[in-house]
Amino acid sequence: MPPTLDELMRALPEVEPAEAESLGKPLAAASLWPVPVGRWRRLRLLGTLQAKIGAAYLFYWIRGWFKNVEHRERLLAETHWRTAVSLLDSMSYLRGAVMKIGQTLANFPDIVPRAVVETLEQLHYDAPPLHWSLLREMVHHELGDDPENVFASFDKQAFAAASLGQVHRARLKTGEEVAVKIQYPGIARTIREDFRNFFLLLLPGRLNKDWQSTKDQFDDLRARLERETDYSVEAAVQEKVRALFREDDGIVVPRVYPRYSTSRVLTMDYLDGVHIDEFLARTPSQEERNEFARKIVRAWARILYAGRLSYADMHPGNFLFLPDGRLGVIDFGFMVAHTDDEWRDLHKVDRAMTTGRREDLIAAIKEWGYLTDSPEDADRLRLHEAFAEWCWLTHSRGRSFDFGDEADFRRGIDLFLEMIRKRYSRARPCTPAIARMNFGVRALLYRLKANIDPRPISEEEVKATGWDRSDYA
Amino acid sequence: MRVNAETKIETRWRILEAAEQLFASGGYEASTTRDIADAAGIANGTLFNYFPNKEAILASLVAGVAAGIHADFENRSPEDGSFEEVLFAFVAAGLRRLKPWRKHLPVLLETLLNPLTLAPAEDAVAMRRSHLETVARLARQHGVGDLPAVALQLYWTLYIGVLMFWAQDSSPKQEDTLGLLDTSLAMFTGWLQAEKHSTTHKKKGGA
Repeated sequence: MPPTLDELMRALPEVEPAEAESLGKPLAAASLWPVPVGRWRRLRLLGTLQAKIGAAYLFYWIRGWFKNVEHRERLLAETHWRTAVSLLDSMSYLRGAVMKIGQTLANFPDIVPRAVVETLEQLHYDAPPLHWSLLREMVHHELGDDPENVFASFDKQAFAAASLGQVHRARLKTGEEVAVKIQYPGIARTIREDFRNFFLLLLPGRLNKDWQSTKDQFDDLRARLERETDYSVEAAVQEKVRALFREDDGIVVPRVYPRYSTSRVLTMDYLDGVHIDEFLARTPSQEERNEFARKIVRAWARILYAGRLSYADMHPGNFLFLPDGRLGVIDFGFMVAHTDDEWRDLHKVDRAMTTGRREDLIAAIKEWGYLTDSPEDADRLRLHEAFAEWCWLTHSRGRSFDFGDEADFRRGIDLFLEMIRKRYSRARPCTPAIARMNFGVRALLYRLKANIDPRPISEEEVKATGWDRSDYA
Repeated sequence: MRVNAETKIETRWRILEAAEQLFASGGYEASTTRDIADAAGIANGTLFNYFPNKEAILASLVAGVAAGIHADFENRSPEDGSFEEVLFAFVAAGLRRLKPWRKHLPVLLETLLNPLTLAPAEDAVAMRRSHLETVARLARQHGVGDLPAVALQLYWTLYIGVLMFWAQDSSPKQEDTLGLLDTSLAMFTGWLQAEKHSTTHKKKGGA
């Protein structure tokens, strides 16, 4: 006799309720796990993660056939939640580059379900800590003595954790309150392993004609992430960016203390601010939100125009809202310095966007994306044009724009996803970093529900480039 | 001529001192027992009254360093944190002390300290004993209880593995060894917990 529906339903696997109900458990358990380094072990873990998510949605889908709508919504929420938990669980374990991807996803509140975003956001602030004995050895290795001897005081408990390290509060013997970022041992190799794994997963795409471009972008990202594992590089960039801001900008970049910094330890001023969630939880006024949004736009434009750098780590965890109204910008591990060629192309994009002339824009996009006039590139051109407009128009139209407009935000995400779906990846190697930055800014402004006109800021900031916009006409 | 106990101790000390200098300057491989005897001002044959071979001299030197580690650790105020964390601190303190000897360790590890060695030298036995005694004491102090012999053997195998890896670790400042040590100790303490759980379970089941 064939099984009844009820029997079939019961046969579908369920996640243990205890496993799904709390994030505390995976976080606590993950803190006991070291960074896994073996290539095959990591590949297996990645596979398991995909299987877990795939299975969670598949079960929802099958179960949904037999459920009424109301119940289905409840089930969907549960499925999202489970997926979020298993994602976080695996990513905390894998740390490194996988966590970077998790952070990028968290910028897109609308492509992934809310529960997943909320869970992913924890990656910005709450990655699992490594135990004190191990950290003490790292400090001893790097600074030549135990933390309790190097610093006047050193908080054993990390107050923040990032993809590559964790951050402790300390006080220098000269009295300064500092944040000390310490890198997990062996993380550099972890990232290399991650990328080899991702590359293997990408291999089925090698017959696609954009393969070479995908590979170039991928290699570029890998090289950048590998460089990011060297805190001395980050310290140099941080000092460069810090020098770009003046006191009246209301934007602060922490000072680096080179005597207490190496390639694995980075000591900088401690900033006493809160992250975006905590800031929004206080229900700030529209003007307060707008003011921070203007500072975010200014920070982005200053770093791009005066620093010739793209801030590819534009995620909520790297912005601090200080009680005196200043914006703190932290974490300069993932910065992209633009080459002369890229800079010339960016100038062309700026010209096209400022004049609003379509032929300029098309020409700039063609050059950027290596596109031709052939009919097979027509769809690419359409998509790239729409996406470029979405990215840049709000900055150049010259009137207030409601960045909290969900439909507009959604449109940008949809365009981006369409490009990914169609595998339109042919473009300059720095494109993923720039896309991250643009999405990052838009996602932050969306979260702030900002209603501002970014044009005056960008007009002011673009002067640093020497580009003469009056000349464009 | 009768050699009294005092002379014996002094000669032994001279051999060790000469060997330490020679190993440090010319390297372990390049130094022969004859070189050591010459530097210590004794006949080559006399040296073998004290040490059966060059490895035993090295073992004795390293054992001296290792004894210092235990003293360091005994004198420290009790550590807070889990057994795993304290054990990590203990091994890491040892690595700091042994650092000048890092490159010479494979010789000892392949012979005297090898967990599979049937008749290890006296110094190696003493070193292993005092190391494991400290581990056992830390386990008791941190609520893990008495470690069974098989647990100590497992620990020793992992520890020797870490030392062997460390001796050849080419990562910057040997940071990979810290990662390996962390993994090894997590594995060890995880196994202890699983053992404890299954023993309790069996007892309950049998009752």
